[in-house]
Parts: sequence; C-alpha cells; structure tokens
Amino acid sequence: MPPPDDSAQPRLAAGCRWGAENKGGTEQERVILFPEGAIKLQGTGRQVLERCDGQRTFSQIIAELQSQFTDADPTKIRADISQFLEQLRHKRIVDY
Amino acid sequence: MTSNPLALIAEITHRCPLHCVYCSNPLEMAAVSSELSTAQWIDIFQQAGKLGMLHAHLTGGEPLARPDLTELIAAARAAGLYTNLITSGIGLAEARLKALVDAGLDHIQLSFQDSREDSANWIAGAKAHAHKIELSRLIRLHKIAFTVNLVIHRQNVDHLDEMIAFIEQLAPERMEIAHTQYYGWALKNRAALLPTRAQLDKAVEAVAAADKRLAGRIRVDFVVPDYYARFPKACMGGWGRKLMLINPAGKVLPCHAAEVIPGLTFENVREQSLENIWQRSPSFQRFRGEDWMPEPCRSCDQRTQDFGGCRCQALLLTGNAEATDPACSLAPAHHIVEAALVDANSTTAIAQPVPASSFVQLQQRAEDLWSYRTNPE
Repeated sequence: MPPPDDSAQPRLAAGCRWGAENKGGTEQERVILFPEGAIKLQGTGRQVLERCDGQRTFSQIIAELQSQFTDADPTKIRADISQFLEQLRHKRIVDY
Repeated sequence: MTSNPLALIAEITHRCPLHCVYCSNPLEMAAVSSELSTAQWIDIFQQAGKLGMLHAHLTGGEPLARPDLTELIAAARAAGLYTNLITSGIGLAEARLKALVDAGLDHIQLSFQDSREDSANWIAGAKAHAHKIELSRLIRLHKIAFTVNLVIHRQNVDHLDEMIAFIEQLAPERMEIAHTQYYGWALKNRAALLPTRAQLDKAVEAVAAADKRLAGRIRVDFVVPDYYARFPKACMGGWGRKLMLINPAGKVLPCHAAEVIPGLTFENVREQSLENIWQRSPSFQRFRGEDWMPEPCRSCDQRTQDFGGCRCQALLLTGNAEATDPACSLAPAHHIVEAALVDANSTTAIAQPVPASSFVQLQQRAEDLWSYRTNPE
C-alpha cells in the first residue's frame, strides 16, 4: 500500500469518529472509535490525527508538526507520520 | 475495583426471520413476552455510558424485529456510545435505514451466508440473499461504516475465493470471515459444519491473499476455528474482563452462552444496576482473573493471552466449566476435540443445497444433515 501523496487530504474513514472528551480517561488522551474497537491517543499521534480533517493536505500536516517539534529531525517526522497513517489506513480508520 | 467494561452487547430480541444452522443463540431462547421494554433498554444504555463503556453492539436474534430499534439507537448514541447494528438486514429498507442513520447509527454489520443464492438461502433457511445484496447498495449511500460478515464452514468454504470476490463488489470497509464457533445451534450441527484440515489450510491461504490484495481498501478480519488451533481463543477477552451481554429478558451475562453453565445465577437489569452487577455479581467473579484456573493453565505462559480459553466450551465438551478449554493442545481433555477432528477428516463429503417451497419442507428435507434454528415462543 502506498504512503499518502503530498497533496492527499487524510480524513477519518466512514464510521470512525472521536469519542466524547471524557472517554479518554485523562485530559491529554482522546479516543478514536471504530467498528470493533478504539484507540487512545495522546501526544504526537493525537496531534496528527486531529489534523486529518479532510481539509489539510499531507504536506501541510507534516509542516505543522515539523514547526512544532523543531528539535526533531524533519525527515524522521515525515517518515513517522507517513507510517502512522499507512497503518491506520490498513485498519480502515483513515482514508487518503 | 475491577476496571470498567468496554462494551455492551445488547441482545434485544431472540426473534429472527432467519434459521441459520450455525446460530450462536442458546437452544433455549428468551420468550417474546419476557423482552425488556424500550424504557428499560434506554436506561441500560444510559448506565453503560456513565460506566465509561465505548461501544453498544445491538444484536439478536434479529434486532430489526423490534419496532423501537431507531429509538434504541438514538438513546445509545445520546449516551455517548458507538453504535453497531449486527443484522441479517431482513426488515430494513430505504426509509428505515435512513432513520437509523439519522438516529446516529455508526456501523452496520450485515451477514451473508454464501455468495451463491441457492446455498445462502439453504443455510439461512430463508430467502434472504437477494434482499441483502440490494440492502448493501443502499447502505453505501450513507456515510456509515459497513462490515460484511461471512460465516464459513464445511458446506461453503470450498468456494471461499468466490465468496471473497462477491463481498469485494459490495464495497464494505471491512469483511469479517469467521469460522463457525461451536455453541448453541452450531454445536448441535457440528458434524455438518466442521471443516477438514485441507479445507482450513486452503481457507487460510485464500484469506491471506485477499488481505494482501485488498490492503487499504477493505480490511479483512479472520476468525479461525479454535478446534484446529494450538491454543484456545481468548473468549470475550477474558471472563468478566471487558464485556457485558444483556439478553432479551434482561439477564446480564459475561458471554452469549454463559447460561449453559450450571450453578451460576445471573442478575437481571430489572433488579440491579449494571455497575453493581459488574463489580459484585458472583457469576461475573466466578472465572475472573486467575484464581479459578486449574493446571496446566495456572502455570502456563499463555494464561495472560487466552485466559484459559472458553468456560462454556469447557462445560459443553467436558461437563466441567473449570476445565482447561479442550481446544487447547495442552488440555487434559484435548482428546475430545481431536476425536471430533478425526471424524471431520475421515470423509470429505459435503451436501448439496436443498431447494424447497416452504421452511417446513426445507426442515424436513434437511433433517439428516442439520437442524435449523427455530424461534422463541
């Protein structure tokens, strides 16, 4: 399966959505609900997925994260986000 | 304190227009007159939301047999739950589907019995196949998650490739290809359903190829037949560990089949809160954790993965609910499962679909092969 193109606009797949704020357990955590399960997200994972709104492009999402984590290697940030979204697409939680 | 349950399985009725020969419902079903009211179910969903549960799986029987289904979905969604409808699709057409989606339905799981109409209707004991295809098309007009569930067994697994291709053109997000699990009606009909080793091996290959080919488009989930596995399944993610099931009459169970276990009594939502039952019910505590475990489970590294397997299967096959699940290759009673496999592999014969003009006629003609699921009173 290919990684997202720079111009792709990642979004949550049909029937996948954020749970209510109180469902994550803590303030930092939010939960994504999908047909047979849920993933708790915090930190970078949460920040990436919150940007998968079907509006922002893949390259915009990467740029936003890179500008937030200036200490980290930008190439690694790109590779990590790409891999993260590929995994979620395989599970049919994200579309792009 | 036990951590809160994650999901609620709501068996809202045992009535069903289908008569699937592998149905996991108990042989003794909850009578129609005992079913919970709309208000009682709404209260249950509100309790579940407050307990921090994430999902409500509405199932049956056929949940569409309840005229208040839309109201129940709306209530579950309003309680903060992800709503999943597990259905045969019978009783669902355009307007009702739209109403369910508008009420907040997140996911629909539609079952198919086969890709071939004659075989599908023969297995279901009902003319349902054509309607399911039409319904699949309607579902795709809505932005909800769509899973196609296909139960496979000795009688249909030989053309699994064809069935996967059939599901592919229905364009779901997910296909669940599940080997029959031997409880309820399926256990009664096991001889007609248990596949041969050769059938299983071929099915595993077909699923792996489909998973690779469909990656990113359709997620493929596969449920293996535990009789052929080395270790037992982690039934329900462990007894009283993640899930609560409420039957049509309001009994609260750790799993679909738990009522077969003698000596356990199950509380009813009419009398106690979900939280109280989850925390204090002797039946939920009976096999929770590891204290109940016999050897070889007690000292086995797998015990944190499979929790000793399935208590109901242990009871059904050995007569003792405390035994290690006989599906486990290490179980003292594994010979029981091995004997069933010897029988299953001693012949490769499968039956031909039987046509009939009525269900009664179909029942009579198929009598030597299997018993169809009947309906509650």
